[in-house]
Amino acid sequence: MANRFGFPDLGIGLGLRTVHYGHLLEHWPDVGWFEIISENYMQTAGRPLYFLDQIAERYPIVMHGVSMSIGSTDDLDMSYLADLKALRERTAALWVSDHLCWTGVAGRNTHDLLPMPYTEEALRHTAERVRRVQDFLGAPILLENPSSYVEFAGSCMTEWEFLARLTEMADCGLLLDVNNIYVSAFNHGFDPAAYLGGVPFDRVAQMHVAGHTNQGTHIVDTHIGPVIDPVWELAREAYGRAPGTSLLLEWDAEIPPFEDVHREALKATAFVGQREPESPAAHEPRGPAARP
Amino acid sequence: MSEPTDAASASSIAVRAGEQVGVPLEGGPAEAFVRERASATPNRHPAHAGPSANVERSPRSSGHASDVRAPPLDVPLRSLQHWFARAVMHPGGVADGIEQHAAHGGLGVSLGDVERVILPSSRLAAIERLAIYGDAYRARLVECLADDYPALEYAMGDDAFEALCLRYIARHPSESPNLNSFGRHMAAFCRSEERPPLVFGSDLTALEWAMVEVLHAPSTEKLELARLATVAADRWAGARFAPSATVRVLEFAHPVNAYFQAFRTDRAPSVPAAAWSATAVFRDGATIWRMDLGRAMHALLMALLGGTPLGPALEALAAAGQLTEEEGTQVMVWFRDWVRHGFFARIETD
Repeated sequence: MANRFGFPDLGIGLGLRTVHYGHLLEHWPDVGWFEIISENYMQTAGRPLYFLDQIAERYPIVMHGVSMSIGSTDDLDMSYLADLKALRERTAALWVSDHLCWTGVAGRNTHDLLPMPYTEEALRHTAERVRRVQDFLGAPILLENPSSYVEFAGSCMTEWEFLARLTEMADCGLLLDVNNIYVSAFNHGFDPAAYLGGVPFDRVAQMHVAGHTNQGTHIVDTHIGPVIDPVWELAREAYGRAPGTSLLLEWDAEIPPFEDVHREALKATAFVGQREPESPAAHEPRGPAARP
Repeated sequence: MSEPTDAASASSIAVRAGEQVGVPLEGGPAEAFVRERASATPNRHPAHAGPSANVERSPRSSGHASDVRAPPLDVPLRSLQHWFARAVMHPGGVADGIEQHAAHGGLGVSLGDVERVILPSSRLAAIERLAIYGDAYRARLVECLADDYPALEYAMGDDAFEALCLRYIARHPSESPNLNSFGRHMAAFCRSEERPPLVFGSDLTALEWAMVEVLHAPSTEKLELARLATVAADRWAGARFAPSATVRVLEFAHPVNAYFQAFRTDRAPSVPAAAWSATAVFRDGATIWRMDLGRAMHALLMALLGGTPLGPALEALAAAGQLTEEEGTQVMVWFRDWVRHGFFARIETD
């Protein structure tokens, strides 16, 4: 555990995906932890929670959201945050993350992770909202560096400078998505090494790796296919600066069988190290007393 | 999707109503009805969306190599986000969105000035970079609707379905942080279509949306068969039944459940002729089920779910001549099936 917030090292984890529910409930495989997309289990009282409840009884869960819209100039959606808080309590999630982005304005939601201009105004605006969210949730949140496809002419600092200052001003954590660094570096023509050089690693509590799609003119963050070697190399470099950080593979398109996704994630053991194999008993239901 | 309007076309259809009345059929396609959100970007350009075409009439001064560039516009964050969102969400594409935003008193950025807001890359013009977001916006929501309405997509064909979705997205942009209910207007939207109204599509959509609804409905208490044995004989006529939250009963002008079952089992159904049908959609645990209902079954079930006591519900059915002699002997079988499948939360005999 290297981060200043005391968020634990969960080892290598996977994103929880619907197509794997059946496999998980039949085999209860030996996986360190699962990350859920928060919104998949919000505004529902039915089948998604039927599965999640069983999985959350057996594995550590962290929550990763896509709709907090932390950078939007619309008011914070307190109803959304209340649902988020309730889900965290239901799953005993160890932490909550979202993205440095905005998803809509004027009451409309694009359901996309839209890019921020890196300006002093955006910095102050976002930091103030992060603090309000953390006050409401009663815990620090992690913000992820997103993949982006545009740069704003009015930006006056780099993304990594913005993130370093934002996390300091808001006293929040960072979910470092190594694939997103690679994607944005290609799209905007910066050096990933320079990015890593500006990351406040004591605030990094989680890392992501993923596959992507190179269109020639730009890279799309599709979370498809295996992670390419340069991204693994970048992950190794990042992990070396924050050893003991929980690391997770995202695979969201053309998702293969669970074993294939798990095998891809376990490539990270090359630099994370081999963890003590957990006994099958580790995935017996955890009683309430065992919950963090 | 062409919709048969006369009886002659019935000879060519593969599905008919009433083939499996009272038989529960399991759910929908394995992973349908859960639009799983992800932080990924869809790598898909909707065939009927306009951004790429519109981009072609926009300046293409791509490349950081542009030595002489107008200074960046100093745009407040709020104005920038309104401009960006208008461009991304505009049905005609990002270029139209920019022009209309300027025309309506928004950020006064002409297409020629886009690079004063968004930088070009070494490979793409500013407007092309912006169009990536426009494409992703539409692609993500089309994927969401395809997930909610797989049989409608099959019935219409990919292109027509996508065009329908793009019109839907323009009419009903999302105002929620969650996509679970994004497709809820589709049945009414199909009926409102003018080219021509999609009557069968509307029926099929209603069935598919009912599956989405019961998927997300809370599990409520379930009336157990054993409880029925405790009801005194003189209490049955006045017994009322509280409906379960995980059941929906729908009436259609087409045999849509038979069509859906043929679709689900890869029997390549063609669009059926109009014919009355009714279907109960319900969830038991994690599994969604569909059960076709005959007219008498439908009338009785609707009465019971609407709060009519059992005795009056049966009397009304008999008085209307809706219950044949054979059906009369089956009523208790139906009723026990409905209880067993969890249609009712509880019985009230006071």
